Amino acid sequence: MAINLKPVDVAVVGLGAAGGVAVLPLARAGLQVAGIEAGTWMDPTKDFHPDEIYNNVRGMVTTGNKIRREAPTFRADPSRPAQRGGPSPMMNAVGGTSIHYHAQSWRLKPWDFKTVTEVKKRYGPGYLPKGSTLENWPISYDDLEPYYDTVEYEVGVSGKAGNLKGVLDPAGNVWEGPRQREYPMAPLRSTDYLERMKAAARSLGWKPFHSPAAINSEPRSGRGACGYHGYCDRGGCHLRAKNSTCFTTIPEALKTKHLTIFDRAQVTRIVAAADGRVSGVQYLRDGKEYFQPAKAVLVGSYTYENVRLLLLSKSKAFSNGLANNHGQVGKHYFGHWDAQAGVIVNALFPVDLNNWYGAILSQGVVIDEWADDSFDHSGLGFIGGASMTAYMEKHPIASAATQTFGQAPEWGSKWKAWIHQNAGRTASAYLQTNSFPYENTYLDLDPDVKDPVGDLVIRVTSGPKENERLAGLHAQDRMEEWFKAAGAVATTKGNPVGPRLSTHTYGGTRMGDNPETSVVDKWCFAHEAPNLAMLGGSVFGTSGARNPTLTIQALAWRTAEHLVKSWKSIAG
Amino acid sequence: MSEEKTPFEITRRTVIAGATLVPVAALTATAQAPETALTPAQKKTLEAFVDRLCPKDELGPGAVECGAANYIDRQLAGYLAAEKESLLAGLAAVDAYARTAQGAPLADLTPDQRDAVLTAVEKGGASGVSNGPAFFARIRRLTLEGMFGDPYYGGNTNFAGWDLIRYPGPRLAVGPDEQKMSTPPKPYRRSAYGSEHGH
Repeated sequence: MAINLKPVDVAVVGLGAAGGVAVLPLARAGLQVAGIEAGTWMDPTKDFHPDEIYNNVRGMVTTGNKIRREAPTFRADPSRPAQRGGPSPMMNAVGGTSIHYHAQSWRLKPWDFKTVTEVKKRYGPGYLPKGSTLENWPISYDDLEPYYDTVEYEVGVSGKAGNLKGVLDPAGNVWEGPRQREYPMAPLRSTDYLERMKAAARSLGWKPFHSPAAINSEPRSGRGACGYHGYCDRGGCHLRAKNSTCFTTIPEALKTKHLTIFDRAQVTRIVAAADGRVSGVQYLRDGKEYFQPAKAVLVGSYTYENVRLLLLSKSKAFSNGLANNHGQVGKHYFGHWDAQAGVIVNALFPVDLNNWYGAILSQGVVIDEWADDSFDHSGLGFIGGASMTAYMEKHPIASAATQTFGQAPEWGSKWKAWIHQNAGRTASAYLQTNSFPYENTYLDLDPDVKDPVGDLVIRVTSGPKENERLAGLHAQDRMEEWFKAAGAVATTKGNPVGPRLSTHTYGGTRMGDNPETSVVDKWCFAHEAPNLAMLGGSVFGTSGARNPTLTIQALAWRTAEHLVKSWKSIAG
Repeated sequence: MSEEKTPFEITRRTVIAGATLVPVAALTATAQAPETALTPAQKKTLEAFVDRLCPKDELGPGAVECGAANYIDRQLAGYLAAEKESLLAGLAAVDAYARTAQGAPLADLTPDQRDAVLTAVEKGGASGVSNGPAFFARIRRLTLEGMFGDPYYGGNTNFAGWDLIRYPGPRLAVGPDEQKMSTPPKPYRRSAYGSEHGH
């Protein structure tokens, strides 16, 4: 029998990038908020190290988490049984994956929100990807712009505006939508390697700019600036210069005294009454079961867990899972076609690049000429493209394990001589391809695989997608061109096969106006359960060609603010 | 049942403590000799293997001198203990194949003979060695970890691995000059866990 806790106004499930932001406007408005998090606090002085074995080989910042014990299974073909999909790189902690993410903080493009309309207008209706379930988002870039702005300032994002109220500045990203003001901080600093890449891009007629990052380029809010030590990837920041929510919005929310954090608490069910309204969440902590009553519930536990929690939460009102009477939960799921999907280009230069240190993608330069709809796709047979980032930071083991570009064997004295000369002369680029939902790709519960508490895990079914494969191949060719213009003597390109489990996944609780094709409305509240909202990439209808976190955070802020403003009608 | 915590408040003291990055576990671990998993004979076979992956030559120390076998030995007694049985079985199979194909245990063969054994394992042509290519790849991977990982784990002796690939070391804060191409940073030969590691 569950132990009943004192009721609160709002229960927020998961205190990562999404929930960790949503708690702030709620708590500031004076609502009593319970933040329920499966992980706990991490300590920068004890838990974060500049150590490749600790961060990257063993995943010590991410290991031991609940999310690993319930990693989804995966199958490319629905007629075959799914296999364990491999470890999930997401993590449970106060701050969640925002502790070790690359801190890229992008706004999506206006095109991403109205892709159907724009593609039909420019190329005709036949140009939409075959088999896709693509829809326009129910909101526009302009609807979200004020929230992007709020989050850029509340979390702290460094960058350079490329479109300030319609005035373009080629020092920033001229392809971005108009923004109302400049970033609160300048971009992270440039380096010789990045300047070399920028000059090469300009020689091709492209407009390079520094990537936007939730990392302090200068001291801000009582915390220091980036130390560029080169262990940003899969590691937490020992200087707290990376603006993870555990260093930014969560402490701010705690100051109000309206947020209570329940850590090491694993939410197992969201409870719904017969009228379809949710009444709170059930969770496990140290083997005991608790029920936290709440007038509204916000779920921000990452795409896989968001969908899983709904599907597991069956009730009289929802026999197929919470908010799933239209059968849309788990549909319109998709993963990003990025390096995790095989879209990658590596290069060998004839000089030492000294790109060891840095802050991964956040100390980087980006080309957006070949993303989204920046170029004419007539005759190419695909829509979208990819952003391309050249960056600083690489690690010694990975650099020694690098391929030898066909120039040397992989062991012995010749290999030794090769890596002696070339381990410091290689670079990779990070490409992110616009990705879309399809009929052949969805999430459901795997009937055969359970987590340690006996609940079924998520099963990913992901069929082939020709549009994204072609877009990825096209982007790889452009990236190769860029590397060669910068003086690379050899390059290798990836084989875009599509994502398996990924840190960039979308859909499953899609946002839309029509309950027949979406789970949540334009405010991210469920069509079928009016006091339940979903936070995270699971509400996205398109991915954009860039990292999702800032959009997740802007949407989370917007949903929380909507709840505050509509408190009586939603929760009253 | 519920627990409210205040976020970690950073002070000047904790920043300094963080800057040395010495966890308590690391300090206590050095007080006693690290555990190892291999018998002297097994260690000798492993060294004969990794020595050919990266031999000592005019460029300097090889995998053995960099402590790659030490790293593997220590990990098999600790973090990689679950792998010990399969890894030792693989090593024994390679040694048996060396006797059959070249007439002596791996450690007693000439460098060329050992290369022939390793090549057969790598290509899947060593009879009696199951999953030869995967076993070879795993040993190679662990050798790279031992050579180029933080010396805290028992390899990268005297930072010879980092020197070999000219990795300048894990500085905690890196200035603009240390990211220049024309003047690479001076080697910073230090473990992330303090100066007592790596020698």
